[in-house]
Amino acid sequence: MQNISNWLQSNTFHHSQFWDLLRLIEEKEKKGLTVSLCIPTLNEEKTIGKEVVLFKSELVDRYPLLDEIAVIDSGSTDRTIEVAASFGASVYLSADILPETGFKRGKGENLWKAIYQLQGDIIVYVDADIKNIHPRFVYGLVAPIIYRPEIKYVKAFYDRPLALSSEIRPSGGGRVTEILVRPLFSLFFPELTAIIQPLSGEYAVKREILERIPFPVGYGVETSHLIDVYDGWGIEAFAQTDLDKRVHRHQSTRDLGKMAFGILRTFLKRLKTKGIVKDMPELTPYLRQFQARENNYEQIIHEIVEEERPPMIELPEYRAKRGIE
Amino acid sequence: MNPIDNFEHIRDRVRQLPLELERFRELLLANVIMFGEIPAPTFHEQERINLMEQRFTECGLQNCSIDEKGNGAAIIPGSEGGSTIMVAAHADTPFPASVDHTLTLEPDRIVGPGIADNSLGIAVLATLPTLLEGVGISFKSDILLLSSVKSLNEGNQEGLRFFLSNTKRPIAAALAVEGVQLGRLNYRSRASLGGEIFCVADKAYEEVSALDVLSQIIYRLRKIQLPEQSATRLILGYIEGGVTYKTPARKARLKFQLSSDSDQTIVDITEKIDSLIAELSKEYKANIDFNIIARTRYGGMDPKHFFVLQARRVLTTLGIHPGDNPYSSVVSGFVENEIPAMCIGITTGENLNYPDERIDISPIMKGVAQLIGLLMAIDGGCCAEH
Repeated sequence: MQNISNWLQSNTFHHSQFWDLLRLIEEKEKKGLTVSLCIPTLNEEKTIGKEVVLFKSELVDRYPLLDEIAVIDSGSTDRTIEVAASFGASVYLSADILPETGFKRGKGENLWKAIYQLQGDIIVYVDADIKNIHPRFVYGLVAPIIYRPEIKYVKAFYDRPLALSSEIRPSGGGRVTEILVRPLFSLFFPELTAIIQPLSGEYAVKREILERIPFPVGYGVETSHLIDVYDGWGIEAFAQTDLDKRVHRHQSTRDLGKMAFGILRTFLKRLKTKGIVKDMPELTPYLRQFQARENNYEQIIHEIVEEERPPMIELPEYRAKRGIE
Repeated sequence: MNPIDNFEHIRDRVRQLPLELERFRELLLANVIMFGEIPAPTFHEQERINLMEQRFTECGLQNCSIDEKGNGAAIIPGSEGGSTIMVAAHADTPFPASVDHTLTLEPDRIVGPGIADNSLGIAVLATLPTLLEGVGISFKSDILLLSSVKSLNEGNQEGLRFFLSNTKRPIAAALAVEGVQLGRLNYRSRASLGGEIFCVADKAYEEVSALDVLSQIIYRLRKIQLPEQSATRLILGYIEGGVTYKTPARKARLKFQLSSDSDQTIVDITEKIDSLIAELSKEYKANIDFNIIARTRYGGMDPKHFFVLQARRVLTTLGIHPGDNPYSSVVSGFVENEIPAMCIGITTGENLNYPDERIDISPIMKGVAQLIGLLMAIDGGCCAEH
């Protein structure tokens, strides 16, 4: 796969390549671009304050790379909203955005509604659960789009060896990536295997792309993005940036099972709609897991419905807001 | 302007500062996070100093530099120059790099290792040029900002001492900035000695544990008469030894601090410790080393020094109750160089030097206003007036 090698060579970056923020801002202004940051939240009171303070001070006040910072919340029951607002973020309840379309619970819903609510030509999404937050999480993702117009979608990956030798070392994503997503990509979309962490929640995307792709509201949003953008614009539209290390909550295997189920449903649905696999049976929304109580095994059934939002550009409200004919 | 009139002017200005500074709160908090999440155990502060230099350069300061010990320094030029006031904050923390340095920012406080000692202090130092510009305050004197390295424990203020011994600029006065506690006004240093006793039991006597030897040492140390008139104190602060509960410990280590109002008392007691170590080495056939890891000299400003009086008035103006303890080893480097110096705290906090160290956010700008007020007082001549 020569194309993969070429792409890895030319479209894989390290955040340190973009340390010169003054130059980046100059380039952004020269091109007349605006950048919005969206932080989707659901009960993130421990980490949200730090993210807001850091991005606002460093990337709005000190280096004006961001034109807007918005927290879009799915209905937190802790102090997430209060904390984010107290440090100066614009906070929106997902349910209050496009209320006529209803409200669906899930991160993908927040990301989708951000396209309507935010103004930027580039929207950068950063998860709210990052413990070691740093401005690089934004500028490392936005910079390739600003410098290289052909790049439209930049994904984060995290790879920071303490020492580099000439030895080969494994590089990859988390458990779900390596035992589910990359094998699936290898089978059906081999070029997408070059994206080192396809499930990372940090990415920057041009609006012209975001408004044209559908959004699963749950676990499948990142996977579907990759497939849909690849289908529409090719591997050349992607880039990826190494942001060093990301410290976040560790998820249990059981939770990863739910994630894998949602991703798999989304993936299979894509295979069907693109005509890659035909005659697929109706997929159940029920994931079955088991737990032992003394000598008995109990079944736990999770209903995981992967609903999808249509491309934003199809909504009359959005077209009216953005003045699109 | 005479000192009385000058203070009236300072008091009026200082009163307004906490409110004016509040709009820079996020800027300061961002620096607290940026610095605080970089591990900086003593002797390994370089990454923090690099960030400090970046901050100083971004502010357009003069003479941004890192000296051969690793201290980061820069100058905010004064309108007249000639006189230099130093603002110093130590960059190191007592936590090893292996400790998770993630900070948690809550609406009213920040939690994490090293946040009070001294991530907040160096963040204030890094933000000070922006804050001064923001509130439109400038000085006649040059303000020398120093982020010092190798300060804590075995570091023994090596970075600060090196700088003070080698700088060509005469320092008129200095302010040492610590994260906590708001209200502290330390302008004197006690005579002190930081000591480490390291025992290695002789392999030939397998039944002898180094911990037995160490316990004897502790017993004998406690038997030493400490002169009451010089308020001499012995603090046993740290102990380690052994590998498993099943076998006698081969090695054991004790760290302690001896402090006094008399330099001679420290010398006398050090001799006694030397001799008891020699006795016990022979008695237990163990190798016992006694090393001095830190030392400070007695001295500092008199409580009636005009600088001290003015400082108390600045704090009182801001509604901060000045503390009664004038002593801190933080000012010892300055005392040795006969520089009038004051150590202040920026906010309130708790669990100092524990992983869940925490500071309160709301008093921070009052603490920064205090720092600026003290700079105004020094710039107005309160040190010279003495």
